[in-house]
Amino acid sequence: MQKEAEIRDPLILGNKTYHDITKDISRPLEGKANKYWWILFSLSFVLFIWGVCSMAYTIGTGIGSWGLNKTVNWAWDITNFVWWIGIGHAGTLISAVLLLFRQKWRMSINRSAEAMTIFGVAQAALFPLIHMGRPWLAYWVFPIPNQFGSLWVNFNSPLLWDVFAISTYFSVSVVFWYIGLIPDFAMIRDRMSVKTAPMKKQLYSFLSFGWSGKAKHWQRFEEVSLVLAGLATPLVFSVHSIVSMDFATAVIPGWHTTIFPPYFVLGALFSGFAMVETLLIIVRKVVSLESYITIKHIEYMNVIILLTGSLVGTAYITELFMSWYSGVEFEQYAFLNRATGPYWWAYAIMMTCNVLTPQLYWFGFIRRSFLWTFILSIFVNIGMWFERFVIIVTSLHRDFLPSSWTMFSPSFIDIGIYLGTIGFFFVLFLLYARTFPVIAQAELKSILKSSGSEYKKKK
Amino acid sequence: MTKAKKYWKGLAELNNDPIVEKLAQKEFVDEIPVNEFLGDSELDSSSTSRRDFLKFLGFTTAAATLAACEAPVNKVIPYVVKPEEINPGIANYYASTIYDGHDFASVLVKTREGRPIKIDANKSAVNARIQSSVLSLYDSARLRNPMKDSVESDWATVDSEISTQLEAISNKGGNIALLTSTIISPTTEKLIEDFSAKYGNVKHVQVDAVSYNGMLEANLSSFGLRALPTYSFDKANVIVSFGADFLGNWGNTDLESQWALGRKPEDGKMSKHYQIESTLTLSGSNADNRLQIKPSEQAGLLSNLYNALNGSTADSRIQKITTDLLNNKGKSLVVCNSNNPDVQLIVNAINDILGNYENTLTLSHPSYLKKGNDTDVATLISDMNAGNIDALITYNVNPSYSLVDSSDFNAGLAKVSLKVSTSLYMDETAINMDYVCPDNHNLESWGDANPSHGEFTLMQPTINPLFNGRQFQDSLLSWSGSNTKYYDYLKNYHSYDWEENLHNGYYSVICNEIPIFKWYLKSEWDTLVPSFQLIKSVGIEFEIAEKIAMGDGSQSNNPWLQELPDPLSRACWDNYLTMSATTARDLGVKNWNVSNGALNGSMVNITVGEKTLENVPVMIQPGQAKDTVSLAVGYGRTLSGKCGNEVGVNAYPLSNGGGATITLVEGTHEFAAVQLHHTMMGREIVKEASLSDYIKDNKSGNETVLYATHDGNKKASEVSLWDEFDHSTGHFWNMSIDLTLCTGCSSCVISCHAENNVPVVGKEEVRKSRDMHWLRIDRYFSSDMTRELSEEEKISAIQMYAEMEDPSENPEVVYQPVMCQHCNHAPCETVCPVAATSHGAEGQNHMAYNRCVGTRYCANNCPYKVRRFNWFQYSDNDKFDYNMNDDYGKMVLNPDVVVRSRGVIEKCSMCIQKIQEIKLDAKKSGTKVADKDAQTACSLACSTNAIVFGDSNDESHVISKLKDNSRKYDLLEHLNTAPSVFYQTKIRNKA
Repeated sequence: MQKEAEIRDPLILGNKTYHDITKDISRPLEGKANKYWWILFSLSFVLFIWGVCSMAYTIGTGIGSWGLNKTVNWAWDITNFVWWIGIGHAGTLISAVLLLFRQKWRMSINRSAEAMTIFGVAQAALFPLIHMGRPWLAYWVFPIPNQFGSLWVNFNSPLLWDVFAISTYFSVSVVFWYIGLIPDFAMIRDRMSVKTAPMKKQLYSFLSFGWSGKAKHWQRFEEVSLVLAGLATPLVFSVHSIVSMDFATAVIPGWHTTIFPPYFVLGALFSGFAMVETLLIIVRKVVSLESYITIKHIEYMNVIILLTGSLVGTAYITELFMSWYSGVEFEQYAFLNRATGPYWWAYAIMMTCNVLTPQLYWFGFIRRSFLWTFILSIFVNIGMWFERFVIIVTSLHRDFLPSSWTMFSPSFIDIGIYLGTIGFFFVLFLLYARTFPVIAQAELKSILKSSGSEYKKKK
Repeated sequence: MTKAKKYWKGLAELNNDPIVEKLAQKEFVDEIPVNEFLGDSELDSSSTSRRDFLKFLGFTTAAATLAACEAPVNKVIPYVVKPEEINPGIANYYASTIYDGHDFASVLVKTREGRPIKIDANKSAVNARIQSSVLSLYDSARLRNPMKDSVESDWATVDSEISTQLEAISNKGGNIALLTSTIISPTTEKLIEDFSAKYGNVKHVQVDAVSYNGMLEANLSSFGLRALPTYSFDKANVIVSFGADFLGNWGNTDLESQWALGRKPEDGKMSKHYQIESTLTLSGSNADNRLQIKPSEQAGLLSNLYNALNGSTADSRIQKITTDLLNNKGKSLVVCNSNNPDVQLIVNAINDILGNYENTLTLSHPSYLKKGNDTDVATLISDMNAGNIDALITYNVNPSYSLVDSSDFNAGLAKVSLKVSTSLYMDETAINMDYVCPDNHNLESWGDANPSHGEFTLMQPTINPLFNGRQFQDSLLSWSGSNTKYYDYLKNYHSYDWEENLHNGYYSVICNEIPIFKWYLKSEWDTLVPSFQLIKSVGIEFEIAEKIAMGDGSQSNNPWLQELPDPLSRACWDNYLTMSATTARDLGVKNWNVSNGALNGSMVNITVGEKTLENVPVMIQPGQAKDTVSLAVGYGRTLSGKCGNEVGVNAYPLSNGGGATITLVEGTHEFAAVQLHHTMMGREIVKEASLSDYIKDNKSGNETVLYATHDGNKKASEVSLWDEFDHSTGHFWNMSIDLTLCTGCSSCVISCHAENNVPVVGKEEVRKSRDMHWLRIDRYFSSDMTRELSEEEKISAIQMYAEMEDPSENPEVVYQPVMCQHCNHAPCETVCPVAATSHGAEGQNHMAYNRCVGTRYCANNCPYKVRRFNWFQYSDNDKFDYNMNDDYGKMVLNPDVVVRSRGVIEKCSMCIQKIQEIKLDAKKSGTKVADKDAQTACSLACSTNAIVFGDSNDESHVISKLKDNSRKYDLLEHLNTAPSVFYQTKIRNKA
C-alpha cells in the first residue's frame, strides 16, 4: 500500500473503483469505434498509402527521386530518422527511468508512451533502410557470416553502431512493453466470453502467457519489470548518443561537435514528451480516459518539457559560443550561416519552437491548460524536426569548399515518405488504441487507494 | 575351363519349342495395320508424294531449329581467326591525326578489340574537343547511307548522277564551287586541283567558322604570305594579348604548352602576361594583369601602344605595358584577336618595332591551320544569288548554320542546280542539298595534314567505317572519274618511309625557310596608325565568344561536350549572354538561385545591326567589361541530333564587335551550373603569392600553420589520432597539381570521362547539382571584400561574409582541379558501414562498387565533396538518353572500367586500371615499373604539365621533388586528411 502526501493532487479522478478502472480500460476493446476514430484512421491510412507508394517509387527508380544532390546527401531521410528515434525516447524514459524513481504519475501514461516508442522506432528504422541506394542489400550492414570471402562490416562506422543501438533499443522496448502488458491482457482475457468472442478470447489467452494473478506471478512481474527498467535506462541515453555520433564523428563543421550526445538525448526527451502529450490529449478524448490522464499528468510533463527545452536552448547557445571560441573559420561560418544564411528561417523556427515557446510553461495557466499544451506540443514537434533539418542540411549545404555549395529542396516523394510515416504511425497507434489496454490498469490500481480522488477526499 | 552358363527366357526356349524360332524371325507379332492407318481415302487423292512429305518434314525441322536460335547480331562473337595484332584485353595504339576544320591535333588513338576508345596526345596537345571526338565517332545521328533529296540512296546511284550532272555543267561551261573548311591536307589540295583540272571552272573557297581573315590578310600585305605565324610564347618575357584567347581557342593549337614553359617560378623566371579584353577568356583569367576594355577601344589602344613604343606618351592604362615591352625587345609578344586586317597590321608593326619577329614569332616557318577567306565567301554568296554557280559541293562546313549571312547563303543555294554536301550529318546545310555523300569520321579515314611549314602528320583509320559512308577524298576521286583509291594516292604522296612515318603519326621535312620580305614600311604604318583613335563609345557593344566545350559547334551532338562545364561560368548545356553585374543592374537583368540552389536568369532580346535574337538568357559574368556583352557560338543547332538540338541560341548571325540594343523580356531561363558559389569566402583553398614575394621567400603564400596544443605549437600532421599507413616500401602513388600552370582548359575532365566511363546525366540533373564529374575544375573569383579589409573597416562578420559572396567586377581568377584526394587518413573510409571504401597499400583510396549499399555517408563526410552517387541507373535508361543508352555510343566505353549501377557511390580511382596494367606488364617482363609509364588520364591530358603523377618512393621521379617543393600544400591541411594528391601554390607575376 502506497503512502502519499495528502496535499498532492489526485492522479485518478472521478471517484473510481477498481471495477470502474477495469471497465474504462477495456471499453475501447469491447465496444465499437466512434466517429473520431474512423476519421483519424481514414486520414492516417491515406497518408500511409501515399508513403508506401512513395517508398515503392524510390526503390523502383532510385534515390534520385528525392531532392538530394552531390553536396547534400542526406536531408529529410535522416532528419525523419532522428526525429522518430527521438520521439521514442520519452516512452522509455517514462516506463524505465520514472519507474526507478518511483514516479507514480507515469502509470497512466507509460503504456501509450511505450507504444509510441515502438511505433516511432519502427518508423525511424524505415529510413536507414530506404535511404540506401541498394536497400535490397541492407542485410550487409549486419555482421552475418557470409560466403563473400573475408567481407565483414566496418566496426569504425557510426552507422554500424546505429544498427546495434537501434536493434537493441527496439527489442528491449518491445519486451519491456510486452511484459507490462501481461496482467492487462489477462484481465481482458478474463472478461472475454468464449461464446461471443472465441477468437479474441483465444488470442488474449495466448498473449497473457498463462497469467493467473498468483502472488508468485506478481512477485516475478515486479522483479522482471525492475530488471528491464534497469536495462532500458542506459538505452535512453545510449541510443540517441550513438545516433548523434553519426554527426559528431564526422568532419563536417556543424556536425563535428563533442556536445552532441547529451544535446541529442535532451532533445530526444524534449520531443518525446511533446509527442506523448500530443497523442494523449487526443487519446483521452477519443477513448474517454479523462479521469486517468489528468491535467496533473500534463503539468508534470510540461515541467519536463520546460526543463529539457531550456537545456536544449543552452546547448544551442553553447554551440554558438564554442564555434566563436574555437577560432576556426569553418566552424564560425557554419554557425553564422545557420542563423543568417539561406536557411535562416529553419533556424528561426527551431529557436522559436524549441527555446522560446516552451518558456511559456513558466506560467501556471498555460502549463495547466490542455489547449495550450496541445498547441505548444505541436510547436515542439515542429521545432525538433527543424532542429535535425538544420543540423543536417545547413551543415552539409555549405561545408569546406565553396565550389560545392548548393541548396536542398524536397521533392514530392520526400514529402510523401515523411507524411507516409506519420500516417503509418497513427495507423499503428489507432489500431493499438482499439486492441490493447491503453493504460497499465494493473499498475494503476495499485495507486487507486493512495492517489484516487475519492480516497484523497476521505482523508 | 568352366562350363558357360546358359539362361533361358522361358520354358519354351528350354524345350526348344518351334514357336521361339518363329517369333525370333518375326519382329511384329500382329499384322501392322498400315491399311487401316492409311485407310483415309483423302490421302490417296492427295498429291503429296513421299518426296513432298520428306520435303515438308525437312522444312519444318529446319524452320523449328532456326526459330529456336536467337539472331546473334547483338552478341559478342569471338574471332574465328584472330587478327595477329589484336589480343583481347590488350590495347593497341595508333598514331593519327584529328582535324575537323576547326581543331587540329596529332593524336594517339587507343583501341580495344578494334574499337577506338580514347584519344591521347601524340605530338601536339589534345584539347577537350579533340578528346571528345572519339565519342562523336559513335554518334548514332550520323548518316548511314548517301542521301538523295533527303531519302536514302546508294553510292552507285549518287555517284553516277553527280558525275553526269558535273559533266553536263562542265560541258556547258558552268561554274562549280567547292566550299570547304581550311584544307591543311596536301593530298586533298592536290585532289581538288585534279578535280578542277577535270571539270574546269572550279572555284575552291575555304571558310573558317571562326574567321582569322584579318590576320591572314595583314600577313599577306606585310610579308606576302597568307598564313599565320608560329609563336614561341615560351621565349617571351612579356606577353600582351589584345583579346586573343591563346590559352583557349585562339589559333586552335597548343599554345598553352609554350606559355606554360615560360611560367616556372622555381627558376625565378616567369613571363609577364597582360590581357586586354572585354570578355573574360581563359587567357584573361590566367593573365597576371587584366585590363577591361570595350571592343571599340581595341584598335585605338593598339595605335596608342604603337605610338608609345615610338616615343610618345602612352595611355595611362598601358604605360606599364609599354615600359615592360620596351625593356624586353625581342623577348616579348603582342597578339590580338581582331579580324580587321588594318588592326592586325598595327599588331605586326608593334611586333616588328619590338624586334619580336624571328624571336618569339615567325612567318618563315608559318602555320597553315587557318586559310579561310572572307572575301571569297562573300563573292561566292553573291555569285550564288546571281545564279552564276551551277554546282556547289561542301566539305567540313555547315554554312547555313555558321555564316553571319547564312540567310543570303540559303537564298543563293536555292539557285544552285547541283548541291552536294559531304557532311556526316543531315545538318542545317545538308538538309537543303540534293545529295549528301557522308564523309567518314577522322578515326575511320586515311589522311594527312600539313599544319605548319615542313611538318606533316598522317591520319590512319582505327576502325572500319561504322556506316556506309565514304571519305570525301574518295568521293572526289570518284567524281573526278579516277579509279585510284585515296589510300594509294596518299601513300604515293608520302612514299618516303611510309610505314615508319605512319607508325609515328608525323614527320618533318627539312626544307628551306620561306624568305620573308617586309613589304610594309614604317612610313606606311605611320599613315595607317592615326586612322585609329582612342575613342570612348557609349552604349553596349557585342562580342562573339567561343566556348571551351563547344568550339564552332560541329560536335554539338556530343553529350560529353554538352555536359562539360564552361571553365569560367561553370554552366553546361547552354550558351548565354555574359554581362557584368553593373550592366545587368542598369538593364534590370537578374540571376538568382531557386530553392534547390539551381541558377535562374532573366532573358533579353538583343539586336546587333539589323539582326535580333530573341529570348537570350543572361549570365552575370564577373570579368565581363562594363557595357559589353558576349555570346558564344556553337549553340542553337537545329539539326545536330538529340543532344545538340535546341540547346542555346545561335550567335553566328550576329556580327562581332557591333553596338547592341538589349531589352529585358518576360520569362526565366533555367541554367545548369555545377558551381553556384564563386569566391573562396576568405578561405585558404587556393594559396597564392606574387612572384616577387616568392623569390624573396619560397614559402611565401604557403607559410607553415601551427596549431596550439597542450604540448606546444604543432603542425596539423603532428596532431593525429590515427595510425599512419606504412608507405615506405612498394609504390606510393602521388599526384601534384600546379595551380600556377593550370589554365582551366578542361581537357583532363574529358579525358577522365573517356577513361572512366563517367556517365552523362543531362541538364535537368546537373541543375539539381547531380553532375557526375570525377574530376572538376573549381574556379574562384577574388572578391572586393577580404578579411583584412573587414578588420580595418570594422565590418561585422555577417556583412563581411555576405559581401565576400560577390566577386569583383574585374576579378583575379584561380582554377583548381579537384578529384578524390586519396587521403591517407580518409574521412570516408571510417564511416562506411560495409567497408566498401578502404585504403590501398599504394596510397589510393579504393571504392568497391559491388560492396556499396549506398548510404552516402562517405559523400557527406568527404571534405572535398568529390564522391558521386548514382542517383538513377544512368546506363540503358531511356530517361538518360545519352551515349550509355545507345548501342553505338556504348562502344566508346572502356572495357577496363565497370559501368556503375544505380545506388552506388563512385569517384576517382587514380586510374587504378592503368596503374594495374603497367604493374602487370612489368611483372610479366620481370622489370621494374617504369614510372614514366605511370600516368592517369588527367595527367596524360594535361598539356601544361600542371598535373604530374608518379611514385614518390622513386627518388628519381619528378613527383618526389614536387612533394618536397616549398610550394606544395595539402588542400584543407588543417583536417590532416594526409591526401596523396597535393597542390603547388599559384604564383602570379603581379606588378
